[in-house]
Amino acid sequence: MSGRSDRLIRLSDDARILSEQECETLAKRVFALASGPGETYVSILSWWNGELRWARNRTSLAGDRRDIRVDIARDVGVGRAVATTNQLDDVSLESAVRAAERAAVLSPNVRHPKPLHPPLPKPDRPKTAIWSDATYAVTPEVRGETARSLIEAAEAKGMSSAGYLEMRAGSRAVLSSERMGSTPAPWDVPYAAWTQAQCSMTVRDKEGSGSGWAGVSNHDWAKIDASALASRALEKCIASQHPVALEPGRYTVILEPQAVAEMIAILETSMGRYSREFAAEQGMGPWALAPDDVLHLWRTKLGLKVLDERITISHDPTDPMLGIFPEPWMEPLTWFDKGVLTNLPFVRSYALEKLNVNSARRPLTGYRMSGGPTSIDEMISTTTRGLLVSRLSNIRMLDETSLLSTGLTRDGLWLIEHGKISKAVKNLRFTESPLFALNSVEQLGEPVPVFRPAKNPYESERPLTPAIVPPIKSRDFSFTSTIDAI
Amino acid sequence: MHLNRRLFLKAGAAMAAIATVPRPLYAQFDGAPEPLPPIEDPRLATLAARALDSAKSAGASYADVRLSHTSTRRFDERSAGDSEDMEVGVRALVEGYWGFASGPVWSPDEMARLGKEAVHQARTNALGKPRVAALAPAPIVQNGNWVMPVKLDPFEVSPFEIQDQLKSLSILAERIPSGLLLRNDVFAQVQEKAFASTIGSYCTQRAYLTEGHLTLQIDLSSKHRSNVVTNLECVSPAGMGWELYAADSIPRVRNLSLHDELLMRADEARADGMLPMKALEVGRFDTVFDAPSVANIVDGTLGHATELDRALGYEANADGTSYLSDPAAMLGAYQAGAPLLTLVANRSEPGGAATTKWDDEGIVPDDFTIVKNGLLVDFQTTRESAGWLKDAYAKKGAPVRSHGCANAPSAIHAPMEHIPNLSIAPGRETGDFDALVAGIADGVAIKRASIDVDFQEGTGLGFGGVFEVKKGKRVARYQSAGFLFRSTDLWKSLLSISGDAQMQRIGFSAQKGEPQQTCYHSVTAAPAVVQGLTIIDPQRKA
Repeated sequence: MSGRSDRLIRLSDDARILSEQECETLAKRVFALASGPGETYVSILSWWNGELRWARNRTSLAGDRRDIRVDIARDVGVGRAVATTNQLDDVSLESAVRAAERAAVLSPNVRHPKPLHPPLPKPDRPKTAIWSDATYAVTPEVRGETARSLIEAAEAKGMSSAGYLEMRAGSRAVLSSERMGSTPAPWDVPYAAWTQAQCSMTVRDKEGSGSGWAGVSNHDWAKIDASALASRALEKCIASQHPVALEPGRYTVILEPQAVAEMIAILETSMGRYSREFAAEQGMGPWALAPDDVLHLWRTKLGLKVLDERITISHDPTDPMLGIFPEPWMEPLTWFDKGVLTNLPFVRSYALEKLNVNSARRPLTGYRMSGGPTSIDEMISTTTRGLLVSRLSNIRMLDETSLLSTGLTRDGLWLIEHGKISKAVKNLRFTESPLFALNSVEQLGEPVPVFRPAKNPYESERPLTPAIVPPIKSRDFSFTSTIDAI
Repeated sequence: MHLNRRLFLKAGAAMAAIATVPRPLYAQFDGAPEPLPPIEDPRLATLAARALDSAKSAGASYADVRLSHTSTRRFDERSAGDSEDMEVGVRALVEGYWGFASGPVWSPDEMARLGKEAVHQARTNALGKPRVAALAPAPIVQNGNWVMPVKLDPFEVSPFEIQDQLKSLSILAERIPSGLLLRNDVFAQVQEKAFASTIGSYCTQRAYLTEGHLTLQIDLSSKHRSNVVTNLECVSPAGMGWELYAADSIPRVRNLSLHDELLMRADEARADGMLPMKALEVGRFDTVFDAPSVANIVDGTLGHATELDRALGYEANADGTSYLSDPAAMLGAYQAGAPLLTLVANRSEPGGAATTKWDDEGIVPDDFTIVKNGLLVDFQTTRESAGWLKDAYAKKGAPVRSHGCANAPSAIHAPMEHIPNLSIAPGRETGDFDALVAGIADGVAIKRASIDVDFQEGTGLGFGGVFEVKKGKRVARYQSAGFLFRSTDLWKSLLSISGDAQMQRIGFSAQKGEPQQTCYHSVTAAPAVVQGLTIIDPQRKA
């Protein structure tokens, strides 16, 4: 084999992720290795993580990790399969291409007669804010300094701090052998690089009788006020100490933005991404209406009001706070418009089959939820009796149609009586549906960024998942039992 | 050329051979890159030593390095795919602080860089705050080598055969009236690892992990869209090869061939589905759990609660802490369950998903007891964490040693404490699940329970197939029923456990850490009876 390169991956310090040129060269090398006709499709992902974890007021581990993932898809006519490698020398790449070709025999292409598709829309790829030099430039020294100041705040008050700081950079390109040098198709992924920063901490007292948490994620480290997070976590820890047991029942709740985001996450998973009638076809899901036995159709709630009219959940990819990794379909999108369900995600194959449209609708990867004029303090002062919830945890969906779910409050729960916080309360298990909670809204506050990092550095489709969410006050939220955990 | 399957079948062995040819990767030892040798090759030891030398000269008091080479294959009925990677990670200890650096390149330059970087990471966090990391002793491993014994290497079995097996399961399911496999896929992994540490240890290992998903749906009534869905836990993750599917029987996993097991489970699901539905009467009932339920409850409560790093607050910002909140005081003193309950841990059982010869710190894991006759007697430990209990161990007259629980998915991750294989001691009851049910005059039986515990594992909500038991027989099923429990109360209410013949091993995955890691382990348990369990409707709002 002539032209064999002996070059292994070189991920040096100033080149912690692959560049556009490197990805293009790599793709060309892969395409040249294909034996026989058929499309070769290669996804090249690289990532770097700078990490610092601490617990009990001391760093427990600091690390620098980086890796590459190359997924090579070969379509050999009868079938199409993917083989993955993380080595970039010629022999490894060739082996991966062969492996994909062999596996393609076991992965038959379903042959459909090629129908006449409507024309493809021109992919609209607006500039999105997903790269921050500030994040990329953070050194281990800066991480260490930051962690020390965050820990000091808690340690000075005799508390125990645990937390995690992470800066990540990644790059991805998905290129086809049939379109090198020509206009990419909407589902190709021209090279893009992103960064993600996250900072979160939990402050607990030494007896374990109180716990406070604060965290935020953003592609831009410069937008994260770590010391403000540390202050908040500490305040909540102190205020949450020695909670008393409270009778479960229905309460007016003030959900802080993080808790609201956790409720929205339940909605998100129910929206699927295959078809807007996906849930309906399965006979379940909150967005399906009962089948029409006369017309033999499943209809959806698109166009119907499903949430409080003050709630709009939308996404403008050019919003500097809401940058997501470029997808093929990047138009500004609204899923809930003043409470009305206006969009459900779907994939292109569904659209071609059912809607005669050659495009797709992306899911709630990043979103902004509308808010209102009421601050959390004002919400408290206008509550006769209720609970202030910091965040929710361990959420499990119980029923797919109503989205009834159960989960736990965590890191700060307070009883409000006569417009004031009266006491810290032991954590409760809730059994409630986000649809119910978002239909029983009394007041909304100012939307703020929440903690919603993509955890997995190998995550290629959704490496950034930002959200801006308001606090809400909601009636008759159902808590069904007390739990012991603090 | 039109490729068709028959051509490949005719080519048969030759094709299968090509399909299973290992894919050569490249590593660099000195000079130009060379094909990756087997993990026992001494040149890998040289590479590893380079990383350690670099860490030591940069100032590490201790350092270790792992090189891992992982191959995976996945199959479902309609597709196949595989992946392969090489990773290397170096850990360094500097003035009591850990640093870690990892990446995908095996070359001398990269080993040197990682060694230096790991020390750099440790140093930037050791500034000004003294910390002592006393590592429990580690016997020096002199060039050890181990290969996990498997009957059928999944990378030597023809991929056609594997896919055929999946297809045959699907066809079988469809022959069952109103039967359908909702999920039918398998994943196999082989990982070769080399470990070296500055105390002079070096060992290499090859371990397998095979995991399948078999979910069977039986439509009971298409008019009312009522169906039962059941998962076959006999293909849950195991330290085994393709015999997980192909063997005629596997002790403690299944007594039948996989096909017969599927048919048996279908009959069981249908019989259970035919029981009349009943409205739940909330209350406290004596409850019989089947073996998978007990395994799930063990895993979710004691399994996680006895991770020592978790109990001491090292996971507080992630998954949470533990209701065993004061390990040093509780060791030997806390009544974690009824005297009937003994919980042991190991990383040695054949087929266990956490089974290994040396852990990720070069320690040979021992079989150890976590709960003895209801009393909490130990925690899951690594070299560093074992030292945190040294006073408690001294009181017991026990040595301070790591139990070998250090693990990581691959060398790109820093090793941390992960749950080992767990097993409850079998009881004295000779009968199976139905026999235990026969001993209940008025109560409840629960099959395939799963639980949601709080972030200290202390209280929880359970779900599963819940049946009413009257006069020793399951007479009805509850549509929406679950159970509420406090972990210690539940284990203290244990009335009886079935014997050795009823023990069943299930594989679990567990996630922890920041950044998050997923490792696997097995839990072996038998059916059991619990007194006065609180049965509720989990879907009832306040």
